[in-house]
Amino acid sequence: MAQEKQILFERDELLRAVNRMAHEIVEQTASPSELVLIGIRSRGVHLARRLARKVEEIAKITPSVGVIDVTPYRDDRARELDSRAVGAFEIPVEVDEKTVVLIDDVIFRGRTIRAAMEAVARMGQAKRILVAALVDRGARELPIRADIVGKNIDAGAGRRVNVMLEESDGVDQITVSDW
Amino acid sequence: MFRRNLLSIADLTNDEIEEIFELADAAEKLGADKVAGGRIMATLFYEPSTRTRLSFESAMHRLGGSVISCSDMKSSSTAKGETVADTAKVVSSYADVLVVRHYWDGAVQAMAEHAGVSVINAGDGSHEHPSQTLCDLYTLKQEKGRLKGLTVVICGDLKNGRTIHSLVYALARFGASVVTLAANGMELPQYVLERLEREYDYTLAPVATGDLKAVVTETDALYLTPKQPHQLALFTQLDPGLQTRLDTIVSGLRYDAFYMTRKQKERMKEGTAGNSYPTIGSEFLREQRFKNTVVMHPLPRVDELSPEVDKDRRGIYFKQAAYGVPVRMALLKFLFAQNDTKRAGVKKLPTWFESPETLGPQCANPNCITVTEPASARRKFDFLAGGPGGALILRCLYCDHRIKVQLVGHVKSKRYCAYDIALSDTIKDWFENKELAIFDSIKAAEEIGYEPYKSGPQRNIMDETAIENAVRDIARQILRDCDDPDRLLVLGIRSKGSYLAQRIAAELAAAQKRKIEIGEIEIYGSGDEIRRLFRAEPEAGPLNLKDREIVLVDDVIYTGRTVKNALDIIFRSARPKSVRLAVLIDRGHREVPVKPNYVGKHIPSSERERVRVKLREAEHDEKDKVVIYSIISPVEQQVGGLG
Repeated sequence: MAQEKQILFERDELLRAVNRMAHEIVEQTASPSELVLIGIRSRGVHLARRLARKVEEIAKITPSVGVIDVTPYRDDRARELDSRAVGAFEIPVEVDEKTVVLIDDVIFRGRTIRAAMEAVARMGQAKRILVAALVDRGARELPIRADIVGKNIDAGAGRRVNVMLEESDGVDQITVSDW
Repeated sequence: MFRRNLLSIADLTNDEIEEIFELADAAEKLGADKVAGGRIMATLFYEPSTRTRLSFESAMHRLGGSVISCSDMKSSSTAKGETVADTAKVVSSYADVLVVRHYWDGAVQAMAEHAGVSVINAGDGSHEHPSQTLCDLYTLKQEKGRLKGLTVVICGDLKNGRTIHSLVYALARFGASVVTLAANGMELPQYVLERLEREYDYTLAPVATGDLKAVVTETDALYLTPKQPHQLALFTQLDPGLQTRLDTIVSGLRYDAFYMTRKQKERMKEGTAGNSYPTIGSEFLREQRFKNTVVMHPLPRVDELSPEVDKDRRGIYFKQAAYGVPVRMALLKFLFAQNDTKRAGVKKLPTWFESPETLGPQCANPNCITVTEPASARRKFDFLAGGPGGALILRCLYCDHRIKVQLVGHVKSKRYCAYDIALSDTIKDWFENKELAIFDSIKAAEEIGYEPYKSGPQRNIMDETAIENAVRDIARQILRDCDDPDRLLVLGIRSKGSYLAQRIAAELAAAQKRKIEIGEIEIYGSGDEIRRLFRAEPEAGPLNLKDREIVLVDDVIYTGRTVKNALDIIFRSARPKSVRLAVLIDRGHREVPVKPNYVGKHIPSSERERVRVKLREAEHDEKDKVVIYSIISPVEQQVGGLG
């Protein structure tokens, strides 16, 4: 049976949203040279790379891009005792005294971002941490905010928001579907 | 009793390193003389190791000594919760030397402080691995006949490689030049570069160049060189004119060695970084200018080093591994001899900072022993003056991590203020008189009764009635959002958050006609961080956080870091159903993406101002109120007083 699927964002709208987010990132950073983008695996990483290119166009400075894999930090997983095993997929970047923008495709309950903040602390002492998400679904379970949002979507708890990106899915699109 | 440890390569002078090398040259004789006869070495490895452990054990056996070890430290008493300090004390009575590898930065130093015998660091977290460095230096010296004046290219993961940091310092001490070729995002940490500049008088010139061939063409490389005698030392900044000259000079250099590090495959699956990890194959080495360039690698290798290099005379990494045994034999002999001479402690006492107050600065490295197991290591710091913008920097004595001093306090007058460069002389006096306190946050300072240096009249922002109304309003909103009052847990951040939590819980209890569980969370403590507040249920067991609807309560939210720490502590112990945040005052200036769900009052404030919540539970003679005033430093206060 075909899934009930509704397209919320086509390619053009998605690109515009990313563009706007890049501008907001630049605006919210005191000095572009202290900017570091960290993508949360895996679509957050694609977004981070796109945003880095946009920021480069706007501010003529290429921010470094790091990768965080929150699976080992997520609270819904059994805790791993060996601290060295954590973050196997990460690409660490220098965050000391930097403004770090954590980037994910969808922010929802806030648990991923909380875990990502813990991962940032492992890399160093950031001056400031901001959150940028293409989609904010609301319905937070933790007191975490998104500073920069592409689109707010109130999809309802039982539905799924899918962000598809060319890098991983061959198409730029945001859809809402039943599970 | 005098005993020598090897915790960092800095524990050995250049002469001592040379002495160890001479002993290593005569390793066969050391073996024949059975210099470790009757002695026992204990190997404690909290992390897996093949080469380091086996070569230490082999070295000890060859010296005629014996070895005891625990095959898996994790399954031993550690699993029962024994601290590393206790393990060190206990094992000291079984052996004459401990060889330790641990996954926490600084853990081996903490063990050395508690052990009664010599301790050798066989790798602590991502901090140091000095015996590997000795082997690397020895190999280089064997191959090249000297260390001074060599140019060594270091490639790969330079950020996390503990061997790399030790090696770079050691090369600097012997006057070798270093070219670094980091994989994307794995550059040598800034503090390593700064230490090279400061302590070894090195200057770095960036050479614009992307993969290993870059040394020849174009890549991102850092060229580190001793200030003398190289002229290159003058080039600290990159401009287009210099660039061409620099390239010419750099490409004209002779490279004596390539030091490769392991490509950590698991890190590379994603994205572009995988493509930029430097690799070496025989084709590369065919170039005339690499004719005498040896290739080293601490092993194990992945695919950054082609097996065809094995057959090349310049591929010396298996030799390098083989030198592990004689060098470690020499090291053991050296330490035994030092201990036996029973020399008076010539080590001068370092002047470090240890907080005179119960709350003080915390190391920002979450993997540091002072954070992971404070019972084994009291926090101690060095001062490093002259950070960016005149910042005062503390260096953790266990893991070398640096933290910026935010707030300083005067122990006698119990006053605090933000650190400012204008205060540096004052601070020096305070430190020398043991009157200096340092705090990570205003909350910590005020928790132990420090008052800010202040000026100007206070403005009242909220009075007793306003606070009471705000508390009632917050309680009403909590009930509105609550799915299941049975799961509700009001958790106050100590100590003002706890008082507010009790007031909110009282409102909730009155509205719901039932008991509401209250807990308290301590951000700066160590050990028992979340506890039940006695008023809730007198004889109940430990507080259960799992699947609870937690309402976290604090008086003021500012940067948001306190709340972030509270969330870390909560999630370390259990997974709640949800956490909502209630604060009496939100004054803005967030530094982390934390947002309160319930706010009594928003107060726009400047960073030079202080918002203070006064509650009758804390200040017995006063009524509830919230005040705001500006903070000034003691220096400004003096100037103001004179004017």
